Amino acid sequence: MADTAAENPPIPPADLSKITFESTQNRRRIIASYWLIVILALPLWWKTTSIDRLSLPDGRARALTEKHLSFPVHVKLEAGQEQHTRILGEELTRWTNHAAQTSGLIVKIERGSRPGSYSVVVEDGEDVKVDGRTLHLGTGDRHADAAQRVAETVTNLLAPHASLTASEEHRTVKYSSRYRLAFTLLNEDASSGQAALSWDVREALEAYLHGTFDRLSILHNFTIESQVQYHAPLAFQPRPVKVAGQDAHGLTPEDLTVFVNSAEWTLASSSSNDPVLHFVLFVPSSSNAPFSDKTVGHSASSNAFILPQWGGIVLLSNPPGHLAVSALEKTFQTFQRQLLTLLGVPDLPPGVRSAQAEAFTEWQLDALVRQRARQNFENSKETLNSIVKLVHQIENMPVGQDVKGDVQDALIALDAALEAAPSSSTQALQHSADALTLSSRAFFNPGMLALLYFPAEHKYAVYTPLFASVAAPLIAAIVRELIAWRKARRAARQPEKRARAD
Amino acid sequence: MILTLLFLFAVCSICSAEETFSERLILSPNRDGTVTSSFAFTTLLRDAQPRDPAKLAEEDESQHYTLFPLALGQILRDNAITELHLTLNAGKWDYQNWGYPEEEGVGTGAELWAWMGEGAMQTADERWKNLRNALAGLFCASLGSLDEQRTTSPVLTFQPEGDLPQASTSHELRHGTLPSENVCTENLTPFLKLLPCKARSGIATLLNPHRLFDADWHGMGVHVRYLEGAGIEVRLAFQAVLNPVRYSGDKKRDWSLSSLFDRSIERSCPVAGSSDIVVQVPPFGAIITEPAPSANNAGSIAYDVRRVDKPLDVGMRWPDEAWFEYPLDAPPSALMIRRTLKGSDQYKGRLSVVLTNSAMAEVKTSYLETMPWLLQFYLHSLRVICDGIPRDDLVSIISYTPPVPHARPSLLQALLTLPANSTVELTMDVVKPFLRYTEHPPDAHRGWDLPPAVFVPLDANATGGRLRLRRVYTSVLLVDLAVPDFSMPYNVIIMSCTLIALIFGSVFNLLTRKFVVVSLAKAKRAAVDNNNHVRRD
Repeated sequence: MADTAAENPPIPPADLSKITFESTQNRRRIIASYWLIVILALPLWWKTTSIDRLSLPDGRARALTEKHLSFPVHVKLEAGQEQHTRILGEELTRWTNHAAQTSGLIVKIERGSRPGSYSVVVEDGEDVKVDGRTLHLGTGDRHADAAQRVAETVTNLLAPHASLTASEEHRTVKYSSRYRLAFTLLNEDASSGQAALSWDVREALEAYLHGTFDRLSILHNFTIESQVQYHAPLAFQPRPVKVAGQDAHGLTPEDLTVFVNSAEWTLASSSSNDPVLHFVLFVPSSSNAPFSDKTVGHSASSNAFILPQWGGIVLLSNPPGHLAVSALEKTFQTFQRQLLTLLGVPDLPPGVRSAQAEAFTEWQLDALVRQRARQNFENSKETLNSIVKLVHQIENMPVGQDVKGDVQDALIALDAALEAAPSSSTQALQHSADALTLSSRAFFNPGMLALLYFPAEHKYAVYTPLFASVAAPLIAAIVRELIAWRKARRAARQPEKRARAD
Repeated sequence: MILTLLFLFAVCSICSAEETFSERLILSPNRDGTVTSSFAFTTLLRDAQPRDPAKLAEEDESQHYTLFPLALGQILRDNAITELHLTLNAGKWDYQNWGYPEEEGVGTGAELWAWMGEGAMQTADERWKNLRNALAGLFCASLGSLDEQRTTSPVLTFQPEGDLPQASTSHELRHGTLPSENVCTENLTPFLKLLPCKARSGIATLLNPHRLFDADWHGMGVHVRYLEGAGIEVRLAFQAVLNPVRYSGDKKRDWSLSSLFDRSIERSCPVAGSSDIVVQVPPFGAIITEPAPSANNAGSIAYDVRRVDKPLDVGMRWPDEAWFEYPLDAPPSALMIRRTLKGSDQYKGRLSVVLTNSAMAEVKTSYLETMPWLLQFYLHSLRVICDGIPRDDLVSIISYTPPVPHARPSLLQALLTLPANSTVELTMDVVKPFLRYTEHPPDAHRGWDLPPAVFVPLDANATGGRLRLRRVYTSVLLVDLAVPDFSMPYNVIIMSCTLIALIFGSVFNLLTRKFVVVSLAKAKRAAVDNNNHVRRD
C-alpha cells in the first residue's frame, strides 16, 4: 500500500499530524487526562481501602496519669483538757499526714464535728474500741507515748491497706459491681455413709449473711445460688496423721493448692459473666474422716481456708444427715469472714475491738470504699493508657466509633470521680467503677481485632494483577511522549544554532 | 428437746419433699439378639413454676437446689423456658426389630424443641438463640448452628408433653434439628455431671462410655416439662441398643449387666427416692440369673436397687440355645416408612416416601417435613400412588411454609390416610439450590444431612383425656449439592484483571497511537546503509 502511495503522486502523502486525533497536542491531552483520572482516583482508593482509625483523646488520657484520687478526712479529737487536745492534735497531724499520703488521704484534725467525720476520744483506762465512726482510746497510764499510740491507731484505721503485704493484697478479688456467690455443699462420697444430704441454706443465708450483703450494697450487688453435690472426689489422697492419739487425716499446704478438683466438681452455673466467688462446705467421706483440725505442717489450726480470688472452703466432719440452720451457724460465720477477706474488707488493727454486733465497722467500710475507688481509678487509667499505646503501636488496628465513645465516656467518668472525691467517697467509687467498666469494654472491643488477620500484603497481592498490567502502558506512553518531546525540542533548537552559526 | 427434734424432723421432711429424684433402667431383649437399655433419671422440683417471661427484665430470685441440676436450672430461668426437649442420637432406630422406643425422640442427630411463654421484652427468637447457645456450652454440642435456617414451629407434631401455665397468655414453639450432630463421650461427661449421683453410685454407675458408644444405637435426652400441681420435672435419659452377640465369643445372646456395661452396681444412690431396674422377659426360652427379683409382674420383673444385695448384676440366659440364630424374616410392624431421595442430577431430584400399613384397619397419620432450604419442594408435583393406583385424595396438606433461600427452612405439615393393608407412595419433585461460596462446610464433598421426617399415627379409638401420640422418625437423607472449585475466587480475580487490563490496553493504544508515514524508498536505502555499516564493522 505504501508503495502505491509513493509511486502514484495523485494521492498526496497525507500529513497525518493534521488529522485531529493524530495531533501531538491531542495525544498529550489524552495521556494527561488518563493520568489526571488516576491521580484523582488515588484519594478515593486510599479512603475506601484504608482502615477506619478514629483519633483517640490520648492527650487527655496522658494528662490524667499524673492525677490521683485523694480524699479529705475530718477527725474530731477529744482528749479532756484543752491543752492536751491541742498538743495531741499537732502530733497527730504530723504523724497521720506522713503515713496517709500513700493512701491519698488528707487528714484534718478539727475541734467541731461535721457529718461523716470521725471522732477520736482519748480516755483513761486500757480499753480500745470502735463504735460507729468513733474510736474510744484508752491510753492507760502511759501518757508519754500517748500521742504516738493514738496516731498509729488512727492511721491504721484510716488507711489499713497501706500496711498490707503482697500476699494479703493478692487475696482480694478484682472489683466488680456484681458478684455471683455460689454456695455448695460438697459430699466427698455420700454413699459411704457419712454425708449431709440437705441443708437449710436459704434460712442460713437469711440469718447469717443477709446483714453483710445489705451493708456491702454500696460497693457490690450479689447474685446467690446454691447446690448440693453427693459425689465430689478429691484429686489426691489425704495423708493419715495422729491427733491426740487418734487416727485422722490431714492436709498439707501443698494439698490445699490442689484441693479444688475442677474436673469433677461443677461448682457454679455459667449463666452470666459476673465473677464467681465459691463457698464450699466439704464433707469428707468416712474413709477419709475425720479431717484433723490441724493441717499437717501448718501452724494455723483451722478447718477452713481461703483460696485467693476464688473463694473459701470449710471442712466438716461427721455431719448430721440434714444440716439445720443452727448447725450451719459456725460454717456461715466462717463464710462471712472469708467473703469479707476476699472482698478486701480490712481487719481492725491489733488490740482494737469492735463494740458493734456487725462484722465490720464504719471505719473499715469507709477505708474499703476509698481503697476500691483509688484502685478502680488507677486501673481504669492504666487500661486507657494501654489502649492508646496499643493503637499507636499496631497500625493495622481499626478504631471504631464505639471504642472512641467508650474511651471518651471513661475519661468523663474519671473526671467525675476526681471531682466527687473531696465531697463523697461513695460517689467517687461509683464513677470510678463506671470508668473501669467502660475502659475495659473499650479494651476488649472485638472490632479492634478485625483487620489484624487481613494484612495489607494480601490486598496488594490481589490488586497487582490489575494495577501492574494497567500501569505498564500508561507509564510507557508517558516515557515515549517525553522522549519525543525532547527530540522535537532538540530538533527545533538545532536549526536555530545552525542559523546562528551561519 | 423433744420439740426441737420434732421441729427438725418437720423441717427435714419439708426439705426432702421439695425435690425428689428417681432413677429407672428398663432392659428389654430384642428378637435380633440385641438388648435395649433405657435409663431415665427424673428429678421433680415440687411446686415450682416456670419463670414468668414478663418478669425477665427484673432480677431473678436466688436459686437454691439440692437434687435439681443447677447449671440446667439457671439456663431455664434465664430464658423463661416452660418446656424443653433435647435429644442427641447416633444411628438409625430399627422400629421393626426393636419395637417402639421408651424415649420417643430417636431422630438421628441433634433435635431441640422448646415451648416458651410470650410477653417478655426479649422475643421468643432471641430467647431461643440464647437457649441454643447456653445448651451448646453446657453439653459441648454444636447446637449453636441450629439457627434461623433450621428453626421452625411445627405445632401439630410437637405438642407440649407437660402443661403450659395458664397465667401466661400464649406460648410459642421453636424446633430445630441438626442431623449431622452425633452424640459422643464429650456430651456424656456434662450429662453425667447433671445427675445427683454422677456415675458413682446407683444405676448411673452403668453409664460406661466405652460400652455405650460402642452400641448399635445410642442417644441421650434432656426433657424438662411443667406439670400442673406437681412442679417442674427434669428427665435425663440415655438409651442404647447393645449387642451381646457381638461381645460374646461363643455367638450366644446371654447377657448380664457386667457383660453389657463392663460394670455392675456396687452401691445405691443415697438420695434416690426410687431406684428400679425393670427387665422385660421374653415369652419363652430365657431364664433370669441371680439375684431374686423384688417384684414379678406378667412379662417383666423388677429390682429395687436400694434393697437388693450388692454388687447387683442382673443377667439373662438362654440355656437351650447352642448359639444365637439371627432371624432372617423381619416381622411387619404396624407402620413401615421408607424415605429416599432419587435422581443423580445436581439440580433436580425426587423425594419418595413409601408407607406400608399392614394393619387390617385404615390408619390416619400426620406427616411433617422440616426441610432446610437446601432442598426445595415443588408442591404441585406431589403424587400419591396407593398399590399402583393414583389416589391424590389420600393426602391433605394442612400447612406449608415455603423456604426462603439463605434464611428460612420450609415446613410441610400434611395428613395422610393409609387404607388397610396397603402400600402408599408419595413422590414429589425437589430442586437443589446453588449455595454461596461461603455457605459450604469444610467437608463440602460429603454432602448435606437432611433432617428426618416425623409421622404421628393418629389413634382413631382415642377419646378424651391426655392423648399420648407417638412420633415415628424416618431415617435421615444425604443430599449432594453442586460444589464449586474452591480456588475459584482467585481464578476469577486473575481472569477479570487480565481481561480488564487487555481492554484497557487496547483502548488506550488506539487513543494514543501515533501513525507515521514511512517512505518505502527511504526506508529501503536506510536499511541498505545500515547493512553496509554492519558489514564494515
